[in-house]
Amino acid sequence: MNQKTVKKINYVYLLLTILLPIALIALLGFVGYKFFPDGGTGAVICFMLPTALSVVWWLFGPSTIWKLRKKAMEQQLDQQGFTRNQTFYGSTHTVVVDIRKGVIALLFFWNPFESFIIPASRVTKAWTDDGAAGSGFLRGTSRVSFLFLIDGIKLRVDTFTSNQRWKMNDEHVLTGISKADMWVQVLAEAKEASELRNGTH
Amino acid sequence: MGLIDRWLRQYQDDWCRSCKCAMEKHRKQLYALPNVSVGHYVERKEPDYYKKNLHPVNRKADIPSGMYACGAIQYRCPQCGKRLTVLDPFLPVRDEEKHEGNIVFQAGELDDFLWR
Repeated sequence: MNQKTVKKINYVYLLLTILLPIALIALLGFVGYKFFPDGGTGAVICFMLPTALSVVWWLFGPSTIWKLRKKAMEQQLDQQGFTRNQTFYGSTHTVVVDIRKGVIALLFFWNPFESFIIPASRVTKAWTDDGAAGSGFLRGTSRVSFLFLIDGIKLRVDTFTSNQRWKMNDEHVLTGISKADMWVQVLAEAKEASELRNGTH
Repeated sequence: MGLIDRWLRQYQDDWCRSCKCAMEKHRKQLYALPNVSVGHYVERKEPDYYKKNLHPVNRKADIPSGMYACGAIQYRCPQCGKRLTVLDPFLPVRDEEKHEGNIVFQAGELDDFLWR
């Protein structure tokens, strides 16, 4: 268990993910321009290869790292005797809860090399946002999430997202709301267990 | 009752196919399915599974968020006395319900369970 402040984004990782391929394209572009001014295979390699590799990296690199880090975190948790009662794999967050011990493990897409295992007593508030908007027959939502505050830092985990608005009684929306409500309850139970263990209840 | 109505009723659960008449509700009970949570529903057709996992509750409000519920209705034909049980697993979400489709037991597989 660590007491460090939750950090959702590692800006070094974020910038490297975006800018490193651009730097590679620029560097090899310069090499191609300098050493292969008349074209040929060398010029093709210098101009085409880094661009192709960059596109592949941007498409698959961060998501592959994210998948591998999630697995690594789960292994780490199992080794530490963490009981994974509930796990939510969000697109940018992974939240794992050991309800009995009152411990939460967090991993973030933009900070995948640092997992946070913290006592649930640090959660100050948890609630569901059903994203309802509009009125009458236009009432609907395009995002349902559960949110919680840890040390004043707001974490939003989406349980349903769409690029269009769905009716509030749509089955996908209902599933999203149910998951979010369940997670709010899970976090509350974990917080209670944590506070009981700490004797602060 | 018109012909089309009669034909449509053939596909309804509360219709005795032998006597061609509406069955009456004999018993009704709400259950919780504590081992099925949101996102993990799989349709099961084995009566033993339901006998083992259904826990009677009084109100829908007794079912925690994210947990499945199951309504059970036993129908009885007033003419031939035939009984059938219809299970209706659903996810209660605030004031709404997400239904997963009925499961019908026609051979009295759940009779002893519902009456115990």
